[in-house]
Amino acid sequence: MNDLPNGLEYELARQGVTRRDFLKFCSAMAATLVLPTRYIEQIANALATVKRPPLVWLEFQDCAGCSEAFLRASRPSVGDLVLDTLSVNYHETIMAPAGKAATKSLEDTVKEGGYLVVVEGSIPTKENGIYCTIGGRTALDIATEVCKKAAATITVGACAFYGGWPSAVPNPTGAVGVKDAVPGITLINLPGCPPNPVNITATVVHYLTFGSLPATDQFGRPLFAYGQRIHDNCERRAHYDAGEFVEEWGDEHHRAGWCLYKMGCKGPATFHNCPTVRYNEGTSWPIGAGHGCVGCSEIGFWDTMSPFYRRLPNVPYLGVEADADKVGAVIAGGVAGAFALHGIASAIRARKQPIARHETDGVTAEGKEGS
Amino acid sequence: MPKLAIDPITRIEGHLRLEVQVDGGKVTDAWSSSTMFRGMELVLKGRDPRDAWLFAQRI
Repeated sequence: MNDLPNGLEYELARQGVTRRDFLKFCSAMAATLVLPTRYIEQIANALATVKRPPLVWLEFQDCAGCSEAFLRASRPSVGDLVLDTLSVNYHETIMAPAGKAATKSLEDTVKEGGYLVVVEGSIPTKENGIYCTIGGRTALDIATEVCKKAAATITVGACAFYGGWPSAVPNPTGAVGVKDAVPGITLINLPGCPPNPVNITATVVHYLTFGSLPATDQFGRPLFAYGQRIHDNCERRAHYDAGEFVEEWGDEHHRAGWCLYKMGCKGPATFHNCPTVRYNEGTSWPIGAGHGCVGCSEIGFWDTMSPFYRRLPNVPYLGVEADADKVGAVIAGGVAGAFALHGIASAIRARKQPIARHETDGVTAEGKEGS
Repeated sequence: MPKLAIDPITRIEGHLRLEVQVDGGKVTDAWSSSTMFRGMELVLKGRDPRDAWLFAQRI
């Protein structure tokens, strides 16, 4: 176990972070975790005193985009410092040792036990897993050993969640996520492409404060981050309800910030806290920047949500006269329908290649694009 | 003289293995292998071309 000889507050002070900044961070974490304010003090006390477990970060079939998202905060935040004080014993993209010296760091940590493991990237299963090897061992072999002996496994990104784009039709390497490659482990999934670093930080803070992983949905995603639909928290939702849609990229309504649903936005079928947490220190997020949501936190989104510029089928448009309850009821039904249709479309696609993508819906907005 | 293998190479994006033949303290031959394959070209085949950038930027 690694602990701070002088305590977290000393370390933070040494790096120019005041007690006030630290408490602001703790209250932001409590807010992200959807905890009442009385937990702020508990979080602060825990972070200041708890023994920090070692952490290993495994990369398999990945693009390092999740690592980039996590490491490249626009400025060093209190969160970075809190997590810096975790002992990151293995992370190929940033660690100094290479070859056998690197592998030894991982082996030593696994031997000692009690560590957290973060997994980025999918795990190939075809041909006994030869499509990804590290130090001569397959990703499947490494994940099985390291995740089974860990205190908890945190997957980051769509690939480690369900296989990501490597598993998209026709899935050339038999790529799967950790939940399928190593069943039966203590696991939490933080999908997204990339996931929001705030949610990664909050999950670790929850673990350090309460000694357990946060409550999850049926896909193992924490409810604090994946419990609400993008569409319901979207800043452009009023335009949707008023029937004000962007019809063409760059038109006056696009410039005015109207709803992107007809341009293919998948917000009505996607659960994630992007609209409230945002990215890059809360600066913006995809819909805020004028592009539709692609549904990156959902299982199979590379197949079920694509073509990304095709409008979701069967999300009913309701005029301003509908009341909130009616909107809610119809939307819930519409989303279930949209998922069913996408499921069928994707099953058809899986059977026949090359892909014929427009079997199930003839949507007027599509015709305008000439696709 | 031995053939040395350095795997993983760290501080890069991606997975790389180097093997070097050392004779008399000098490297006389070397081989590099990329030890991860996903098949992006195969995944892109037949898709809507407007979606290509989303896949390709995640190489």
